[in-house]
Amino acid sequence: MELFRQTNIDFLRWKWWAIGASWALILVGLVAIFVQKGLKFGIDFAGGTQIALRFVAKPDIDHLRKILDAGNFGDFGIQRYEEPEKNEVLIRVQQQAKEGRDITTDVVSLLRQGLGGPVDATKLDLNIQGRDSLAARLVAADPDQAASRSGVVLTDYYGRIAEAVIAKRSETGVFRSPADANAVNGVSPAVKQWIQGNTVTGPFVLLSAENVGPQVGADLRQKALWAIGTSMLGMLAYIAFRFKSLPFGVGAIVATIHDTLITVGLLALFGREFSLVVVAAILTLVGYSVNDTVVVYDRIRENQRSPKKEPLETIINRSINQTLSRTVLTSGATMLVVLALFFLGGEVLNTFALTLIIGIIVGTYSSIYVASPIVVIWKQWTDRRRPVVVPAAAAKPASAPPATPTKKKSGRR
Amino acid sequence: MSKRLRWRVIVILVTLVAIVGGYVMTGYQRARKEWIGQGRPPLREALKRGIKLGLDLRGGIHLVLQVNTTDALKAQRDNDVTQLQNQAREQGVSIGAVEYPNDWSFQLGVSEKTDTTKLDDIVKRWLPGWNVSTTSGKWTLALKDPSRREIEDSAVTQAIETIRNRIDEFGVAEPIIAREGSDRILVQLPGIDDPKRVKDLIKSTAFLELKLVDRRDGQDMGPMDKASLLSRYNNQIPPELELVEGKTVAGERESAWYVVQKAAVITGRDLKNARPSRQTMGGNAVTFFLTPAGAEKFGEATGKNVGRLLAIILDKRVQSAPSIHERITDTGQITGNFTAEQANDLALVLRAGALPAGLTYLEERTVGPSLGLDSIRKGVTASIVGALLVFVAVVVYYRRAGWNAVIALILNAILLLGTMSLFDATLTLPGIAGFILTIGMAVDSNVLIFERIREELRAGRAPKTAIENGFSKAFATIIDTHITVIISAVFLFQFGTGPVKGFAVTLIIGLLISVFTAVFVSHTIFELEYGRREHIDALSI
Repeated sequence: MELFRQTNIDFLRWKWWAIGASWALILVGLVAIFVQKGLKFGIDFAGGTQIALRFVAKPDIDHLRKILDAGNFGDFGIQRYEEPEKNEVLIRVQQQAKEGRDITTDVVSLLRQGLGGPVDATKLDLNIQGRDSLAARLVAADPDQAASRSGVVLTDYYGRIAEAVIAKRSETGVFRSPADANAVNGVSPAVKQWIQGNTVTGPFVLLSAENVGPQVGADLRQKALWAIGTSMLGMLAYIAFRFKSLPFGVGAIVATIHDTLITVGLLALFGREFSLVVVAAILTLVGYSVNDTVVVYDRIRENQRSPKKEPLETIINRSINQTLSRTVLTSGATMLVVLALFFLGGEVLNTFALTLIIGIIVGTYSSIYVASPIVVIWKQWTDRRRPVVVPAAAAKPASAPPATPTKKKSGRR
Repeated sequence: MSKRLRWRVIVILVTLVAIVGGYVMTGYQRARKEWIGQGRPPLREALKRGIKLGLDLRGGIHLVLQVNTTDALKAQRDNDVTQLQNQAREQGVSIGAVEYPNDWSFQLGVSEKTDTTKLDDIVKRWLPGWNVSTTSGKWTLALKDPSRREIEDSAVTQAIETIRNRIDEFGVAEPIIAREGSDRILVQLPGIDDPKRVKDLIKSTAFLELKLVDRRDGQDMGPMDKASLLSRYNNQIPPELELVEGKTVAGERESAWYVVQKAAVITGRDLKNARPSRQTMGGNAVTFFLTPAGAEKFGEATGKNVGRLLAIILDKRVQSAPSIHERITDTGQITGNFTAEQANDLALVLRAGALPAGLTYLEERTVGPSLGLDSIRKGVTASIVGALLVFVAVVVYYRRAGWNAVIALILNAILLLGTMSLFDATLTLPGIAGFILTIGMAVDSNVLIFERIREELRAGRAPKTAIENGFSKAFATIIDTHITVIISAVFLFQFGTGPVKGFAVTLIIGLLISVFTAVFVSHTIFELEYGRREHIDALSI
């Protein structure tokens, strides 16, 4: 099967249109960012607390909000998380002015009280507590009288039981009553009885809790920018070295910056948040876009080697046409993977995948319409300036066979 | 089969066997540590554990702590000031009041009566780490920069050591405790899902002091409310005594206060061991054992003060103040309404030693076990579906040669996982992203080669020549694209943090393998297929 057979499209004819379109897209993004008063940063970069909870029953968001209003957290948001039928909720609390407050603990205990969770403090909440707390309690109580048996290390013995109970919780999602824990295999009746008598199950499970301080947020932001910046410079250096030409290096970098700007702008337009995962996605697209550009450049270099002297524009056009079917096929194949990720990858990978979907489209386009035209425009611009520097008479013979002794000083020997 | 081709096949097979073998062995090693059942863990468990999963996939706690190094500076300063005052007193040098402009300097009042030569000698001899500058009536002493840095540095090193001791005692598999920058500590605890407990455990400075409660007119000065205590001293606590707050008890609004002697009978440094125990009356307690030197001090103090109250102070809070019934030497019990976990953790931190400085949590992330499980399931499903789609597309487009690409891609995925396991690299969620980019680049390499072969065929070359030319012409491009992306990944690894790093590791390993599979393996498969035949009429590409 073939999609393109020896196409001969004059891509560069549309280069000014393409540059206009690129600017338009970049502007749309910038306007979106401006309207939102800056990028929407996730807690990685902005700082604050984010807590994901899974409830036993469908949570009433308004009710939750009322409960948390009593906590004096300042600005906070509650939203449903992932599939609504899973009863999961995401709570976001802004950076606190006063340091040292443990927001996660405060939110959890407020919600527990407000939702009428079990109040007996001496009993362990199987939905909130983890393996180690349960193990410690079991060791202290020793319902199996394992201490009297020889060769039994209590912490190991009960550690395993606790591990199995918590694994059961992960499997079922949430415990509805302590009796659910009894479905665990290999637990003695004595332990089951102890669990019945000494544990309770609260209204929710803590899925994840993240808390990023203001310093770290600023740090991560700076480091992410630094990483992106240096890696771009590294690529610029390599491309300039490999193609022995600055315009190629600059073209690749401008194309990459172009892709990054458009992607960031569109993400802002779609109201997505910037987190470290999005940074990873942007880096992926940078790699992808450069890969695409290098393939076209390689062809241009190869075609430049042919003895036939042609204008640069013709060579570039032919190179783009020659690599067209490869470009489309590779983009298509990568797109398939990313689409799978978008639809099946879950909440965390969703924004990641969206970034890549935008990135692949823009990256493919930019390697044709940004990276190569820049080389042409750069060369045209320097050519136009050259007669001023070099006398016109001297410039002419340059198209003759290169036998000028000044050029091949070392190559001759 | 030519000799060259035979060698190629051998190289490929040996690489495959070595890497897959390494993966399975690593998996077995890890599985054996955790396997609870009888005998050898099954292969399935080993395969699951061959690759180390990051906290985002596995669940656990990630913490970044800052060591408040000023605490250590202050402690050093206070220590040195006391030293200076003692020496001055001994040698009869009169000095004025001490003021503290900041954490690493102090000012000393100096009058005409002061023997400045002697004072200078004392400072040179006993406080070598300090710079002195004199103005009229005042000497300002500031810690020299190198000594300051040394104190700060050793505070961080000590804090790491203490945290490691505590984590080890707590029993966490494969914890990461590392220094980050000058005064930060990164702690990663896989599989732990009790954030509050772990945080308290790490953060508690665990500074234990046992001090005698003051007795005035036959009455113990505590526990009482603050106001009535102060009134007994006419609102002026003598310098050898201090006022300490008691532990707040749930249900009581005001906490009790004590007046105790400033000099401690014993401190946490005199402890040899500590373990959770039960009180005779019921309830949890911690029993501690003293070093010989500590036991001697303790025996003397308790013997002289039978009937008095002894305050057990932890991190500047009185836990309890039992009365001394008899002379106690080498062991004692700390009581104070503890739950079983609290008693357990207190014993643990007492064993592990005190922190040299306070800690602040800069960043903390907890991923529950179920969320990690969900992420893996979804990430893996998406990757498999995506890969299958690509396989179908490639086979439809390139027919028989497409199968060649499919084999190269599968090999790529296997080798990538195997190599990551061998390097002990961690797979994270962004790592899966790196995996996807790798697969994308590997597909691209194959596409580049196939398109070149097609071009050569179109130009009228014989199939065998077309294959050779296709590979050699695509080679430069493949190397260029891979090196460019590897360069960027190396920078990302160097300067990135957390997820970005995980992404870079996967990408670097993946791309190196991709060059191998696309250029070397794919070429070999072509040769195996067509190399034997003398003449080929057409390629299925």
